[in-house]
Amino acid sequence: MTAVVVEDLCMTYRAPIRGSGWKETLSSVFNRQYREVPAVRNVSFTLAPGEVVGFIGPNGAGKTTTMKILSGLLHATSGHVQVLGFTPAQRRSDFLRRIAFIRGSQPVGGSQELTVLDTLRYQRLLYEVPPAEYRQSLAELTDLLDLEDLLQRQLRALSLGEKMRAGLALSLLYRPQMMFLDEPTLGLDVTGATTMRRFVAEYAEQTGATVLLTSHYMADVASLCPRLVLIDKGKVQYDGKLDELAAKLSPYKLVRLTAPNADEQRLRDAGELVEASNGTWVLRVPREEVARTTARLLTELDVADLAVEEAPLEAVIDRAYREGVG
Amino acid sequence: MTVSAAQYHRPARLLHLIALRIRMEVLEWSGSWWFLLTLVVQAIVGPLIGMFVWSAVYPADPYVATYYVALLLVTVMTESFEQFTFSEKIYDGTISHDLLKPQPVIISTIGTNLAIRIWLTVMGIPVAVLTGLAFGVSLTWSAVLSALPVFAFGAILSFCWILLLSLTAFWTERVHSIVGFGWTLNFLFGGTIAPLAFLPGPLREIGQILPFYGMLGLPADVATGRVHGPPVLTGLAYQGAWIVVFSALAVVLWRAGIRRYTVVGA
Repeated sequence: MTAVVVEDLCMTYRAPIRGSGWKETLSSVFNRQYREVPAVRNVSFTLAPGEVVGFIGPNGAGKTTTMKILSGLLHATSGHVQVLGFTPAQRRSDFLRRIAFIRGSQPVGGSQELTVLDTLRYQRLLYEVPPAEYRQSLAELTDLLDLEDLLQRQLRALSLGEKMRAGLALSLLYRPQMMFLDEPTLGLDVTGATTMRRFVAEYAEQTGATVLLTSHYMADVASLCPRLVLIDKGKVQYDGKLDELAAKLSPYKLVRLTAPNADEQRLRDAGELVEASNGTWVLRVPREEVARTTARLLTELDVADLAVEEAPLEAVIDRAYREGVG
Repeated sequence: MTVSAAQYHRPARLLHLIALRIRMEVLEWSGSWWFLLTLVVQAIVGPLIGMFVWSAVYPADPYVATYYVALLLVTVMTESFEQFTFSEKIYDGTISHDLLKPQPVIISTIGTNLAIRIWLTVMGIPVAVLTGLAFGVSLTWSAVLSALPVFAFGAILSFCWILLLSLTAFWTERVHSIVGFGWTLNFLFGGTIAPLAFLPGPLREIGQILPFYGMLGLPADVATGRVHGPPVLTGLAYQGAWIVVFSALAVVLWRAGIRRYTVVGA
C-alpha cells in the first residue's frame, strides 16, 4: 500500500517568446512562437502511508510544480500520479476532503473579512465534519496552536505567523490523510517556526498522515523528515535517508573542543583547523578517523570539552545543489 | 450507502453552501462599499441617459419613464462582474484555494455574484425610487409579479454571459476589454440605448432573438405591462435556450482553461 505514486512525471510549460525590435514584434502578431520550458522531467518516487518526506531543491527545481500536480491544481504533461488511490487532476470531492495543501506564501485563502472562528465553522460545513468531532478538534487545535486570542479576529488583520497558525487549524480541522506543505515556515520567526514544526510532527505521529514538505530552511527538513527527495532541474537527484546524504556529500565530521592551553600545531596535525576562538577549536576530520583522532586529542591535550558534530546541513545541501549528488 | 445518501442530499448541500458563501461574501464586500458605489453609478448611468433622451422624444408617453425605471432596477439587480472577481482570481492565482475545496468552483463564483447583487440592490433601490417619484412612474403589482420569472431567467442569463466572457482570463490578460465589449452589446441590443419597441421592425425581431434583450429589456417590458401573455412565454423560451448555450460553452471553456492554468504566484 502506498500513499503517493509518481511515475515518469513530466510537466512542460509553454512560454511565448519574441525577438526584439519592430520587425520581430510585427512578425509575432501573425506568427506567435513558443518555447517549451520543462519544469519536471521524469520524476518518480513513492511515499508510504505515514511517511514524512522532505522534498527539496533549489529555486526553480520543480518542487512546487510537482506538489501542485499531486494536489490536483495542475495537469501534468505526461506520467502517472496517484494520491491515496485517486488521480489528483480529476479533483474528486472525496480526494479533496483527504488532502491539505498549505503554502507559506498564502496560508489562508477566501474571505479575509471573516473572523478565524467563522472561517473554521465554514470549513466544518464544507468538509462535513460532525459537530462533536468539530468541537473536539477545535479545542485541540486552539490549545496546540495557541489560537484562543485569534478566534474572534478577522483574517485580514492577522500577522503572517498568525495566519500560518490559522491556516494550519483550517487545514487540519478535517484531519487530512495527506499533507502537502510548501515552505510552511516562510517568514516565520524562530518561535513560530518551532511551533509549526512541533505541531506537524505531532499531527503526523498521532494521525498517521503522510507529509510531503518543501522548505529552504534545513531546520524544517532536519527536524521533520527522516527521508529526503532532492530534485534539481526537474529531475530527482537523490531519494534516501537524510543522514546517508550527509555522509555521502560530507565525508568529514567536525570535532569541536575546548582546550585553552592547546598547542595549535598539534591540533593542525590532528585535522584541518576551520575555526579558533578563545580556546575553542573546530577541526574537520575524515569520518573514518574521528574515533582515533578524538582519542588522541583526549590523551595528548588538556581538554575541557569535546563534541563531534555533523557538518551543517545547509553546507551539505548547498554542495548537492552546486555539484550534484554524484 | 454513504455515497447514495450524499448524492441524495447533494442539491440541498449545494444550496446550503451557496447560502453560506453569500453570507461570507456579503461581509467581505461590505469593506468595499465605495467600489460597489462606483458599480451602481456605472449601472444606472445608461438607463438614466436613455430615459432623458427618449422622454425628450416622446414627452407624452408614460411608457418611457416607467420602462427606464424598471430597466434601472433590473440592471442594478442583475449586473454581473465576474471579470472583477473570478478572472482576478485566475490572474493572481487565488483560485487555487477554490480548486482545493471539496465543492465545485462555481459555488464560490455564484455566491460572490449574488452577494454583490444584494449590495447593488440595496444601493440602487433608493435611486430607482427617487427617479420614479420624480417622473411620476407607477408600476402595478400584477405586472411586477408577472415579470419575476423573466427577471430570474434574465439574472441567470446575465451571469452566464459575463462568466463566459470572464473565462477567457485563462488565455488573455485583457479580460476587461472583452467583458467591456460584451457590455457594449448589452447596451446596444438589451434595450438600454433604446427600448426594443422603438427600433425598426427587422432590428426589433433580431433583438428579441438575441440574448441581450432577455437580460435587461424583457424583464423591464413585462414589469411595465407592455409585454404580456404568449410573448412572455416566447421570451422565457429564448432566455432558457441562451442559458443552455452559454452554460455549455462555459463548461467547455472551463475544462480547457483549467488544463492550461499554471497557478501564477501561488
